[in-house]
Amino acid sequence: MTAEAKAFPFPTVETTLPNGLRVFVVHYDSPGLVAYYSIVRTGSRNEVEPGKSGFAHFFEHMMFRGTRQFSTEKYNAEIKAMGADSNAFTSDDMTVYHILAGASALPTIVNIEADRFQHLEYTESEFQKESRAVLGEYNKGASDPLQPMVETLYENAFQAHTYKHTTIGFLRDIVDMPNQFPYSRQFFDRYYRPDNVLLLVVGDVTSEQVMPLVEKHYGGWSAGPARPAIPVEPPQQHERRATVAWKGASLPMLLIGFHAPAFSTTSIDGVALEVLSELVFAERSPLYRRLVLDEQKVEHIDGSCDRHVDPNLFTILARVKDSKDLAYVEKVIYQEIARIAAEGMSAKTLAEVVSHTRYAFAGQLATADKVALIGAEFLALDGRLSAIDDTFALLAKVSPADVKRVAGKYFTPENRTVVTLQPEAAEAAEADSVPEAPEVQ
Amino acid sequence: MLLSVAAMAAAPALARAEAGPIRVVRLPSPNSPLVTLRLVFQVGAADDPAGHEGLAALTAAMLGEGSTVRRTWSEVLDALYPMAADIHAYGDKDAFVFTGTVHRDNLDAFASLLADQILTPRFSSEDFTRLKQDSLDAITKTLRGNDDEDLGKQALGTLIYAGHPYGHPTPGTVAGLSALGLDDVKRFYAEHFTQDRLLVGVAGGYPESFPAAFAARFAVLPTTGKARAELAPPPARVGMDVLLVEKQSLGNAISMGTSIDVTRDDDDFYPLAVAASYLGEHRTFNGVLMLAMRQKRGLNYGDYAYVENFIQDGWTTFPLTNIPRRQQHFEIWLRPIPPAGAGFAIREAIFETDKLIRDGIPAVGFAATRAFLLNYINLWAQDGSRRLGYAIDAAIYGKDVVAELKRRLPAMTKDDVDRAIRKYLTTKNLAVVVVGDKVKALAGALAAGKPTPIVYDTKDTPADVLKEDKLIESYPLPLSAPHIKIVSANSLFEK
Repeated sequence: MTAEAKAFPFPTVETTLPNGLRVFVVHYDSPGLVAYYSIVRTGSRNEVEPGKSGFAHFFEHMMFRGTRQFSTEKYNAEIKAMGADSNAFTSDDMTVYHILAGASALPTIVNIEADRFQHLEYTESEFQKESRAVLGEYNKGASDPLQPMVETLYENAFQAHTYKHTTIGFLRDIVDMPNQFPYSRQFFDRYYRPDNVLLLVVGDVTSEQVMPLVEKHYGGWSAGPARPAIPVEPPQQHERRATVAWKGASLPMLLIGFHAPAFSTTSIDGVALEVLSELVFAERSPLYRRLVLDEQKVEHIDGSCDRHVDPNLFTILARVKDSKDLAYVEKVIYQEIARIAAEGMSAKTLAEVVSHTRYAFAGQLATADKVALIGAEFLALDGRLSAIDDTFALLAKVSPADVKRVAGKYFTPENRTVVTLQPEAAEAAEADSVPEAPEVQ
Repeated sequence: MLLSVAAMAAAPALARAEAGPIRVVRLPSPNSPLVTLRLVFQVGAADDPAGHEGLAALTAAMLGEGSTVRRTWSEVLDALYPMAADIHAYGDKDAFVFTGTVHRDNLDAFASLLADQILTPRFSSEDFTRLKQDSLDAITKTLRGNDDEDLGKQALGTLIYAGHPYGHPTPGTVAGLSALGLDDVKRFYAEHFTQDRLLVGVAGGYPESFPAAFAARFAVLPTTGKARAELAPPPARVGMDVLLVEKQSLGNAISMGTSIDVTRDDDDFYPLAVAASYLGEHRTFNGVLMLAMRQKRGLNYGDYAYVENFIQDGWTTFPLTNIPRRQQHFEIWLRPIPPAGAGFAIREAIFETDKLIRDGIPAVGFAATRAFLLNYINLWAQDGSRRLGYAIDAAIYGKDVVAELKRRLPAMTKDDVDRAIRKYLTTKNLAVVVVGDKVKALAGALAAGKPTPIVYDTKDTPADVLKEDKLIESYPLPLSAPHIKIVSANSLFEK
């Protein structure tokens, strides 16, 4: 693989409709298959009003609850008839609706997707029933200790910014969701608009096939109102620590977050942190060798900085075999990062990390759906598919000095939030009660 | 880059015994820059000797995550890193798999590393200590305490297959693992990782000579070893058994099922698969259970049905390949439900299944499910690794499930499906596992045969749903008090 080879090598045609809707058609050699992704540049980050955490995700659920033309049953019947793999997901910064089906189904896909993005219509009864499916989704995650740990980390690491709450939201807000029907309509009006949505179509299709359908079905969609600003997080001034209680069995766990920069294709710190994460936490790293293989104090360790629209966290997770080693493991992690801040890394190691990153990325581009998933993330963050190659161009420019600098800059005690979990003695205990559901209006 | 499904259907099972008894499966894609290697050994948890439950999995872990004669595991990780390759090792009751996908630039280097893992394992005491402890923690900490749904599924397996080689979790039991020494692993390896149990798969943009040369490396393994034990049928069950696993949780995770005497090798599997898709296609809104329980009633996040063991492949919607079984079971998975609704949910799942058994699949539902599957199966094997997985499964089962469905569905009739439903599906002898909180109250209600109504905290539930609720809440279950058992999560999988 040459250094000059594009990271995202697929022919792409971009078109913008007069109403602001931008459409990206990527030809990919998946005979007879197409992946159709509708990317809303809205996620839990946009939940600025108190009591409304989890709403972007809840609204993702409501998008499957029908329109006047395509009731829930009719929509599901269309998806079923085309034999599609259809789903959606929400994260901090985006809500993505995706359909993978035969390319011959494209006209139907465009029709039903355009319809629900413009004409969604559901009753309050359906709204309330779906809120309980969201509660079910929260409940299914609740047996994993990582769920309360992540909640606790973000709740403590952020004071003002909406990253303070997780995408699924606070349980108290989920339980209250049945009472939020009017707000749901406002949410749709505010965010489900052509200037806030991108279409990405990947597979055995051409722009000549896609665009007439898009123009026909989305052309009448009008742009949206101004959207609320997101509060800016002030710099953290001192370390924050919290513990999570856990009844029942678990390995002790350590979760650390350091404030990190937002996604950028111009500032080098983000990709330098990506290199640092490989250096410190890859399975071939000295830290992994020491803690997992040699001393065998840790069952799992990883650390990385996911890409975000606003500054978020570099997170480190360790599952430790014995509670008494939690403090030790924490210390060893900081020591390793400090060592890199002091000593840097060799050009040879940097080249290996860059090679690994490029090969790993190339290996992910194995299906139309995976290509679309990767493209969707960059589109949501940046609005351009070229952001992928821009990122790899930036990666090629990272120097050992950059990695040394970011190791010193971001991993300071005052910039971190630390959460630990230790299981309590395993007794059959009375359950903490789930908050009683408030009386539904 | 990909073979179309039509092309795959045209090529019969590609396994050929070349290098002795080793079966080789080839799927060339000359334009693909990637190559997948799969080594599938027909060795699994069913091979665990009594008292050594977990031995197969631990041996496989020593191969897939352990040092070789030439390199420590740390050095193996170091060698894999620049090529961004992983060795993914996983397994089940009847097979363990060692697989990885690399850019073709790195094929020879990766192939050598992978072959070394299997052919010249070091069996170091450090790796043994690490992997044995990880296996014990996986049961005592993670399975018992971090994943209610997997806990329920594994517990269901111990009920359906009690006293049977499938009757313990694949990672093992606490007693079984604790009893293991390094010599046990070495002996198990020598006796089970043999040529006659091996399928070697290669897919992607490889040189034409590569598969034969790669497979030939494994001719140094013993030709044969310990014979595979014949599997007795799973224990018969009369009436329902309910196991309530008490642990702190927000919702009750529910799994239920019973053994069925049909696998992909059988003609009856294919109409039965249509019935299962109709009842509860995995992670879609197609299934009757999903529509009735989540969509109409808001009971939980999802409800699905299966007629073979199903493990999801990562974050995709599709099943892992290369976990074939000689015996299968019917299973219903109800995702966590608030404890107050658990009794209703159990009854509703059985009510809907009984309706299917009694009335057969509706004509409209059959037509829609058939149309769905004819298109959906085109998505099951989108990349070289998954296509290879399906091809190897075809070699093991004797039938390629995708090709068979494509061939059989157009001519299949509603009567075919109804016949398969009547022959194989039953709710009369279900094992049911409920994991979570407030299980004592549920036990009391079930034992007394009391109604278990659903109470909505949402408005305007349609009248027809409320009417049906009245039938469901009192739906009779073939269950008596002695068949309801409560255990703590921390007591499971001890031996």
